Amino acid sequence: MAFFVILFVMFYQKRQLHQEKKLREIEKDHQRKLLDTALNSEENERRRIAQDLHDDIGTMLSLTKLSLNQLSKLVAESDIKEDQIMRKSQSLVEETILHVRRITRDLVPTTLERFGLAAAIEEFINKLEEDNNLRLSFRANTEDAPRQSQKVELTIYRIMQELVNNSIKHSKCSQIEINLQVNSKFIGLIVTDNGIGFDPEMIKENNLAGLGLLGIESRLAIVDGTIAYEKPKSGGCRAFAQIPVVHASGNKPEPLHPFRRERMTI
Amino acid sequence: MVEKYISYFAHQPLACITVFSTLLPLAFICYRKAGVDPSFRLLLIFLIFKISTDIIMLHYATFRWNNIIYYNVGIPVRYVLLSGMFYYKFESKILRKWILNIMIVFLIFSVWDIVSVNPDILDLHGHRMVAYATTLESLLMLFWILIYFYETIRSLKIPNLLSFPFFWICSGLLLFYASFAFVAPFLTYVFKWENWLNIGFVSYVPYVFEIVTNIFLCIGVSFFSPRYYAEH
Repeated sequence: MAFFVILFVMFYQKRQLHQEKKLREIEKDHQRKLLDTALNSEENERRRIAQDLHDDIGTMLSLTKLSLNQLSKLVAESDIKEDQIMRKSQSLVEETILHVRRITRDLVPTTLERFGLAAAIEEFINKLEEDNNLRLSFRANTEDAPRQSQKVELTIYRIMQELVNNSIKHSKCSQIEINLQVNSKFIGLIVTDNGIGFDPEMIKENNLAGLGLLGIESRLAIVDGTIAYEKPKSGGCRAFAQIPVVHASGNKPEPLHPFRRERMTI
Repeated sequence: MVEKYISYFAHQPLACITVFSTLLPLAFICYRKAGVDPSFRLLLIFLIFKISTDIIMLHYATFRWNNIIYYNVGIPVRYVLLSGMFYYKFESKILRKWILNIMIVFLIFSVWDIVSVNPDILDLHGHRMVAYATTLESLLMLFWILIYFYETIRSLKIPNLLSFPFFWICSGLLLFYASFAFVAPFLTYVFKWENWLNIGFVSYVPYVFEIVTNIFLCIGVSFFSPRYYAEH
């Protein structure tokens, strides 16, 4: 009887643990799917907004610019004051067109879709260097590596954006180094800055992680990736994200293009 | 004198092996430094107490002196120390409170049992075994062990029971007390110093299970790690 009780406890507990583990896996899978859906919706929404900006507002602004050009030729012959107002209007429209292009590019990294991660990161840091007083360096060994799946590339790109933005916003750094390494199994992204640094353990313990860091972890959870933060002895902070390689399947999203939408046939 | 011991060992080999088998878990506890855990510390105290009383009883038995008083005194001590182990293992405050309350009640009951069975307590030669205390002790211990198993299954905090020290300790105690619960009610009538009743193989059952229990205790303690204990 006693032996039976001992055996029962052993087997029953093992079975319960197995069931609990299964349940946790189902829950985790469900959470992952929810997160994936949320991020996909976000990206789709970004794409839709960018498409609308590009196709509707962008086109209308270009047409407005053309009309203003024609009008300015007529006005040039008349009063100086009216000519000035016309030129100001033209420059405002031009500026608006530039803003719309920038917002569209920020919403959907078209360079990433067309030319890959390295080109998109290069474009991103070039733009940052123009706007900030920062030294950014980028190294990659992706020249011979095949393109990765859209999800993996977008995840790496968004994480890189978040890490760099965090460094600029919080670390008071003057230099950021981005390193992208691909091997047969993993893609590694290392972002190092020379700022004030932070203690990742303390942030985790005190629940101080903001939406940025949580967003990084959520994105990584979907692609089975990991992230580690460390404080180099030289100061600053180093973030190392690693994602398993998933090669591109060939189903790329259509790039943003004016008049892309199907025309209605009457 | 030595011949007497040798003669006793030759006549009662199983009883002697049982006494000295206690040294095994005792050595394991010292070697694995399991005393850092309060439950294992109580087990260590119990084993030291047990080996001491067993050796005294062995000595008395060799010289044919009544040693039942040591057995009777050992019952409340054994219950306090072994149920005390569960006091440290249970997380529920209510259960802990119950362990303490029942411990006090049992102490009083076992003293009453000793006195009621032996009205002349100073008559060591005619001393008899307790009538109910051993049975009650077995039932109470079985109850705490089963409650512990239930809590273990319910909480699911232990990923691998087979490498969990206290599971083996409980299994050993379960075997010991389960076997003892069947024999205990008859002990007072069977094991009398005068008119010892020979019940054959059944009288050896507690010895066999005690050895098995000591083996289980050794297995349990061998899984104990002071580092693991410090981490938890």
